[in-house]
Amino acid sequence: MDAHLQHRLQLLESVLCAVNVGAIVLDSERRIVLWNTWMARHSARSGEEMVGQDFFAVFPELRGQRVDTAIQQALYNNFPSLLSQTLNKAPFPLFAQPGVDCERLQQAVEVSPVTAPDAPRYCLIQINDVSIAVGRERLLREQAMVLRSQTFSDGLTGIANRRHFDVAMEKEHRRAKRGCLPLSLLMIDIDNFKAYNDHYGHQKGDQCLIQVAAALAGILKRPADLMARYGGEEFAIILPDTDVEQASLMAEALRLRASELAIPHERSSSDLRQVTVSIGIATQQHDRPVDISTLIGAADRALYQAKRGGRNRIHSCLPD
Amino acid sequence: MFNLSELENDALVEIFNIGVGQAASSMSAIVNEPVRMSVPSISFMNRAEAGRLLAGREATQERICGVSQHYEGAFRTEAILMFPEDKSLEIVRLMVGEAVPLKELTEMEQEAMCEIGNIILNSCVGTLANIFQRELQGSLPRYHIGTSDEILTASGSQADTVLLLHIDFVLEKHQIHGYVAFILDMSALHDLKEQINLYIARAMGQA
Repeated sequence: MDAHLQHRLQLLESVLCAVNVGAIVLDSERRIVLWNTWMARHSARSGEEMVGQDFFAVFPELRGQRVDTAIQQALYNNFPSLLSQTLNKAPFPLFAQPGVDCERLQQAVEVSPVTAPDAPRYCLIQINDVSIAVGRERLLREQAMVLRSQTFSDGLTGIANRRHFDVAMEKEHRRAKRGCLPLSLLMIDIDNFKAYNDHYGHQKGDQCLIQVAAALAGILKRPADLMARYGGEEFAIILPDTDVEQASLMAEALRLRASELAIPHERSSSDLRQVTVSIGIATQQHDRPVDISTLIGAADRALYQAKRGGRNRIHSCLPD
Repeated sequence: MFNLSELENDALVEIFNIGVGQAASSMSAIVNEPVRMSVPSISFMNRAEAGRLLAGREATQERICGVSQHYEGAFRTEAILMFPEDKSLEIVRLMVGEAVPLKELTEMEQEAMCEIGNIILNSCVGTLANIFQRELQGSLPRYHIGTSDEILTASGSQADTVLLLHIDFVLEKHQIHGYVAFILDMSALHDLKEQINLYIARAMGQA
């Protein structure tokens, strides 16, 4: 090869190595033929180590995934593919500081065919770090959420309102279905609340609602658990990723917490003469998703059973 | 206007249905939920007619969200996936499962929309190329937002004929109607018709 051409080739390779984006080139056999400096920096694996290796031997978890399809599209159909950060959660194990960080860089990936004269097609994988843009959008969403939560809370008790419940239920229901996770719903009713209102007046009634709501909401610890005022003296709690046993334990803790408040209730139907709650539990099992209305219906039925069983108790129903 | 015989038309609808079927299964794999797509019909029209059809009946022109890719090889075309703006918001949010909708697609969501377009367009054109036993090269997807006229001309292509595919997209009980437009010039139309007839001849065992 003449010296000029040799020089040009070395220059081109240096440029590819210097660009501020991850670049991997695969040959038609999906062997790595180029692994640039950016890749080495964010993967802690050097070019010398990687070149010549089979791509899927290095990243076995990507076999059959979208990256695999995109490589096939490039090598066999000559089409480039875009893998967005939003729809593909960080496919490559790349880190701002490998060995220090445990969260992967947010990635936008492009896979393009590259033709070389007299050789089967190659494919270029470019990886962009979009962590900053992702962070900016997260902030934007959080602010939108704060603004919205002002119209999403119950004016009296300060916990989530019915509208918030409907939105959260929709979201958690989808998440449970996609992730094959269980989802539990609790329906909580203050026992003999009408009699309480009649006896003590509406102002005391409101205070009772505020006190019970605050005490019960205080038991929830995980950020995705949501307690909402469902209507009147009825509350609902969404417990994502929670099976029947865990939901029953939680319901029992809530029931106990309400009676610990020891709010006097002269007209209570029980001998306790205190404010108590009844709780209905419904759980959607991870392998048997049902409609939201079915799940709510089951929780309502369970609550009715708890009431009929003598109040101040919990009861669970399977949705069907 | 350019026309296909009934047989040619049916063959092309069938080819596109294979294409969007593959696109639907790729998208299904991404979201881990059933996604169904079909092409109920196709039609040829000129660019102005396509613009009017996409703009809808309302006097105020609705904004359209488009993802375009350029292809060349066996034939040359600008392919554009288009949805009314509110439908594109719906698709992306259904795909992403995001609970806090903002008024417009964010930068990251636009990129997701580009990926959806990339999957659908590559599947449609890829199926065509495979069936025609020819090769095409494609560009990366570009995102556009604007009136239907703006989007149909954004590619800068001078060609005037539009092959318009109606696309039905079904995800999680939501049915969304959209379009894929292929902008073709006369020679591309000629090549397309020729390729369809070669395919039909092969399918019927005459070649």
